[in-house]
Amino acid sequence: MTDAMRSARRHMLARTGLAWLVMMQVMMLAFPGYLRHGARAPDAQQSLEQAIVLMNWLSLILCVPLVLYCAWPVWRGAWRALSRWRVGMDVPVALGILAAFVPSVVATWRDAGEVYFDSVSMFVAFLLTARFLETCARQAVSGQARGGSDAELLHAADRLAFRFVCAQILLAVLVGLYWWNVQPDQAVAVTVALLVMSCPCALSMSVPAALAARHAASLRAGDAGVPDAAALDRAMRRVARQNLHGSLAWHLLMAPLAACGWVQPWVAAITMLLSSLAVAANAWRLSRLPPGAAAERRPTVRRANAMPG
Amino acid sequence: MAMDALFLLLPISLLFVLGIGVAFWWAIFAGQFDDTRDAATAILDDDDRPHPGEA
Repeated sequence: MTDAMRSARRHMLARTGLAWLVMMQVMMLAFPGYLRHGARAPDAQQSLEQAIVLMNWLSLILCVPLVLYCAWPVWRGAWRALSRWRVGMDVPVALGILAAFVPSVVATWRDAGEVYFDSVSMFVAFLLTARFLETCARQAVSGQARGGSDAELLHAADRLAFRFVCAQILLAVLVGLYWWNVQPDQAVAVTVALLVMSCPCALSMSVPAALAARHAASLRAGDAGVPDAAALDRAMRRVARQNLHGSLAWHLLMAPLAACGWVQPWVAAITMLLSSLAVAANAWRLSRLPPGAAAERRPTVRRANAMPG
Repeated sequence: MAMDALFLLLPISLLFVLGIGVAFWWAIFAGQFDDTRDAATAILDDDDRPHPGEA
């Protein structure tokens, strides 16, 4: 591993770990806010309201370094894309963070309205976790992409993710405007949930993770002395396809639910993390394939193909 | 009152978070998380032959 790669990985780990630390604190501090609408004696309600104000301010203090330091790669990436008049992967993420953070700061300052600090911190922490896994996968295959077909596969997945981001931002804006007209108090939550969901974390991770898993599997196969590159390639393509289709299915399933206002922003963030972890786990399965298994699977595939014809 | 305790305890917890964050930051840039796999097996790959200089 080169020095630049090691330094990049350390910085990503620092940002991810600190985001998790902040997230756990903010989730704890957000808890009294969820109790606000229960029935209790007036004096108890008053001290609860006082506690909520205090905890909102603490959440704000904790979220400032999260937004400025941990989410720094997002701002940089979004600015780079926008300064070239393009829409990158970071643009919806940046919009999502801003759409949740700015109204929360205003609500804390004015002491009125809902705060979404827990959603902001969960979104950033989960996003960085997915990015960290993606960085590890991309670093593992850097310089090892086997010729044009791998590069083509990576490029096709990136193009797909880009189109998806454009469609999702458009959807979030339109649905947000609709809710703003119908039910203004729900508009921020729905828009944030949709923007969180528009992040193509799992989508952009699916192919690099499969390539990294194939690399690991071929190392293991090489140790055992049975490197069957063609079978491994087929298994890799199958995993990459499963990952792509799975993450697309997640987007298509969750977006309508979020548009209807049934998905809270923090639930959206959790499902985003789960889809990324599912992609990583599916790819990991490939790297754990016993060396002989890839070769054994070939005759079965042939027979299955031969049957209809 | 319960609120007074909160005003004391929450800033203390904030200080703890700050300390943990700084310690974590230091550990990462001191290289403690660079190699989490080989450190576990390093003791098994040790060179057990007696040193030539020692009796």
